[in-house]
Amino acid sequence: MKKLLCGLAAVAFLAAGPAVAKDYLVAGVKPNKLVVIDPAARKVDKLIEIPGPGIAPGTIVPAPDGKVAYVVTNRLESISGLDLTTGKEVFRADFATPNVRTKAMFAVDVSPDGKELFVMQSPVKLGLGEYEVQDTQIAVYNTADGVGAKPVRVLKAPRRLVLFAFAKDGKSLWALGWDLYQIDPKTGAILQTHKVLNWERPNFNPPDILDVWPQFEQAGVFSTPYFASRSDLPPTDPSAFKTGILTLDLANGKVDMKDFEDTSVVIFSSVVNPARKTEVFSVYSQLSKIDAEKGELVKRIDLPHTYYAINVSADGKELYVGGTMCDIGVHASETLDRLATIEIPGCPDQGVASLRIAKR
Amino acid sequence: MKHLKPINKKATLVEQAVDGGRIEEVVAMQTVVGCAATLDPGWEVDPFGSVAALCAPMEADLYGCSDPCWWPAQVPDTINTYPDWNAKAPSAQNDWRVLQSVFPKK
Repeated sequence: MKKLLCGLAAVAFLAAGPAVAKDYLVAGVKPNKLVVIDPAARKVDKLIEIPGPGIAPGTIVPAPDGKVAYVVTNRLESISGLDLTTGKEVFRADFATPNVRTKAMFAVDVSPDGKELFVMQSPVKLGLGEYEVQDTQIAVYNTADGVGAKPVRVLKAPRRLVLFAFAKDGKSLWALGWDLYQIDPKTGAILQTHKVLNWERPNFNPPDILDVWPQFEQAGVFSTPYFASRSDLPPTDPSAFKTGILTLDLANGKVDMKDFEDTSVVIFSSVVNPARKTEVFSVYSQLSKIDAEKGELVKRIDLPHTYYAINVSADGKELYVGGTMCDIGVHASETLDRLATIEIPGCPDQGVASLRIAKR
Repeated sequence: MKHLKPINKKATLVEQAVDGGRIEEVVAMQTVVGCAATLDPGWEVDPFGSVAALCAPMEADLYGCSDPCWWPAQVPDTINTYPDWNAKAPSAQNDWRVLQSVFPKK
């Protein structure tokens, strides 16, 4: 009997043990707000005011523990860390100094241990009669430094970096610009470069990427669409234009670029299914399902309007499309059918703000 | 450069830099000191030479493109010069009447 009771107690303990992390969507809306959404309940959980000036939130990065989200604000001149439960600002870095205007256009990420925040910055020295463009840089902040944080390191960075994604082991920071760079987060040294715009693919012109939406947290695989045209075919030939998917496995650094169709629609961003990592979903005015391994378009549907951003549930069963206007569309990853629409109260635009998943 | 002729001082300097093998010193500006540096004409045609593949509706794209200064010729520069242009219009689709023209401050 004692054994049975002990057994029951152990089962009860396990059942009450560490809860499985729940997915929350984090979006940004005008004017200067973060939105926390419970996708399972299909409802907005919280609207959080970002302190200080600014109207359009930019890139959003959830902390690894899901308790805080960092967001670019103040007309790209500050980054604010907000507690997603209390709404309180727990971190803030304002970039400007009296003579230098510094903007963070898009690329931001946090180290896997949550201790350091990496922000791509473009500074400009303001003269009396001229602007002097400075070298671009990556400012590194200690997240524990809280409100008023100053960079603890400033790393040299190639120009035009728009997406950061930390390697799983935290030993390198991947950065997409004209090429895909693996950067040493301690020194800024470029450890390796995967050529993208500078590829040497026979009979192809340089590819084009317009993706500023980081969406890799569920699968641990970074992905982005790319477009390229053939140099050996006339532009009147439909097969002269190709759309493909670039994937980067953040666990092992493996990079793949594979065409999947003759370009037939515009695509802005993509996400990898955490349950089947060869399956990629992309978004713009259409939602597409792509087999990145075979290089095939599996299915495509028209969306009610254009969306810039896409994310996916932890089990890979649901897709969330967002950005642009004031709703998040929920779709089944299997059929791409629309399952629900979550409207943000007051219908404020999301614009270019990210659509991220915070797990807590 | 043989098909281009500089017509102002800056263009002449660029040409001299190219001729002198100092092109690496000519740094392209990014969209950080005013929108005009983006050099995107705005409300462009789509990759297929039409408009069907542009964002739909146009209002879905208005702020996504104007906030990072993608459409400098058509909408005010909200990251530097006219930060409050759309402060009272959180929804481009519903509040477009609030959006007004802007004029240089004297």
